[in-house]
Amino acid sequence: MRKSRPALLIAVILAATPALADPNIEKLAQTCNNCHGTNGQSAGPNMPSIGGMPEGYLKKVMLEWKHGKRYAATMDRLIKGYSDAEIEALAAYYAKKSWVPAAQKVDPKLAKRGEEMAQNCVGCHGDTGAPPDDATPNLNGQWSPYLEMALLKCRDDLALMPHQTMRDIAKSMSEGEIKALAQYYASQN
Amino acid sequence: MNPQFNRRDFIKTIAAALPASFLGVPAAHASAKARVVVVGGGFGGAAAAKYIKAMAADVDVTVVERNPIYTSCPLSNDVISGHRAIEDLQIGYDALKRRGINVVIDTVMSIDPDKKRVALKVGQALDYDALLLSPGIDFDYDHVQGYSEEIANSTMPHAWKAGPQTLALRKRLQSMQDGGTFIISVPPGPFRCPPGPYERASHVASYFKERGMNKSKVLILDANDSFSKKGLFEQAWKLQYPGMIEWVSGAAGGKVTRVDAKNETAFTDFGDYKADVLNLIPPHRASVLARATGLANDKGWCPVNMLTMESSKQPNIWVVGDACVHGDLPVYPMPKSAHTAVTQAKVAAGAIVAKLSDLPPPNPYFVNTCYSITAPGWGFSVVHIYGTENGKLTYLKNAGGVSPINAPALALQRAQEAEYADGWLKNILADAFS
Repeated sequence: MRKSRPALLIAVILAATPALADPNIEKLAQTCNNCHGTNGQSAGPNMPSIGGMPEGYLKKVMLEWKHGKRYAATMDRLIKGYSDAEIEALAAYYAKKSWVPAAQKVDPKLAKRGEEMAQNCVGCHGDTGAPPDDATPNLNGQWSPYLEMALLKCRDDLALMPHQTMRDIAKSMSEGEIKALAQYYASQN
Repeated sequence: MNPQFNRRDFIKTIAAALPASFLGVPAAHASAKARVVVVGGGFGGAAAAKYIKAMAADVDVTVVERNPIYTSCPLSNDVISGHRAIEDLQIGYDALKRRGINVVIDTVMSIDPDKKRVALKVGQALDYDALLLSPGIDFDYDHVQGYSEEIANSTMPHAWKAGPQTLALRKRLQSMQDGGTFIISVPPGPFRCPPGPYERASHVASYFKERGMNKSKVLILDANDSFSKKGLFEQAWKLQYPGMIEWVSGAAGGKVTRVDAKNETAFTDFGDYKADVLNLIPPHRASVLARATGLANDKGWCPVNMLTMESSKQPNIWVVGDACVHGDLPVYPMPKSAHTAVTQAKVAAGAIVAKLSDLPPPNPYFVNTCYSITAPGWGFSVVHIYGTENGKLTYLKNAGGVSPINAPALALQRAQEAEYADGWLKNILADAFS
């Protein structure tokens, strides 16, 4: 098909298109969408939305999985297939997306109870779970089933979760309290 | 600006700067759009249409699909055991239409690769600049005597395409009494969803267990000598269904060559097996349309260029999903899964958009993730990741693999992956179809 294009002209156009994302990172990120949703906005309550999360947090957890420093059920095996440079580019790619709170039903009574539980969390996660810094993930509007699963990971001594404070706080809560807390953050749009 | 749309802008920029012929249309018809026809609206076809349109809004994309509603094969074993409603697996094409994609509910009668034309049963023929086929599989009934499409559609459903046969097989399971035997006959590979038959055996066992039908049995008659996630399945069976599921390998006489459909009996070279419900999964090959178009090799599958998904047999035709094979990847062939199909569709979409813009194809990324559930709260997965080396596709041995058999936090590991299976289904349906 029309192989006679002037290469120089293409090169000039490439140079004049500063907004162009690295096409390979775009292609790589498209494979993440299979499980995390188009643009990292998850349609599945058990999978976290990642689009719009802080770059530092995304990069940190992916590198920890890759280097065996953090437990994951599936992601550790996946992320080992990619270079540190690809991981960094992916973190930057998804961080640039908009954070869109998941459309989910919330039990207002449970959420109210969860708000009290959240007093344990505000120090690091802020009032609503919107990230106060680059190292902290969005909890505001994240899927509640995923938030529960994440807390259950932190409670399990046999799972390698590196954040000691998170482990301590998760272990101090009952499963009912974890449910309530997840409902609270799910309600924070 | 959303980076997803940068490539589209890029193409627009090129379109503005270059003669119109660069977009695949003659200069005299500068307003005409490049036309992509997608045949088959399953996971592969839907994802390809969506991503082509997202990357190149100016391309005219038409999907031709027989059914107005798609039913996901992944997680359809849940329906057989009663753990999921079939509606959970179903999705239509309205969201793709809202993206500006034409969706034609019709049957493709033939493809003319020379004229670049697709003939339809009802509607007018469609001309294309690029054709993407995601036609799925057909069953080869000739290799099992006594079985036919007619029998599959009436008394003995294979339920290896989700839909009415899935519900029919559930009804057959519901008709069983305690002490009965459910036989699953597994065809020689490659077949769609490599762990599927063993997941199905688990679901049938869970149905028995939940109803106290503890004298019932599941017998797997396998044409093959090993299977996907074998260690993980066997661990789960020992824990959850001790003594209930038996696997007979091909070497031990598991290959079924003939059935007596009336008497629910399967015949192998080593003897015959009487079932209360015989679930025969016939051997597969690429769909008849793909074979009739000259896209298949002598084994009945469609070889493709490993880096672009373009057919090795016909130019300007891309083949994705269960029908295709990556010819030069003998050791770790890509599993025929929905996840693979969607990933291949995205690679093909990038390659098609690049070719229509007369640009080199982007570097491809292929990945497969496949969850299996053996009981509520007990799931595991296999991950395959492929890379490129010196312009060739390679399987990355240092990444991927199956869930750890003896994970330290075993219950947590299995529970999380059972949840992920559900999250995966919802996301991959949404990612491909909306």
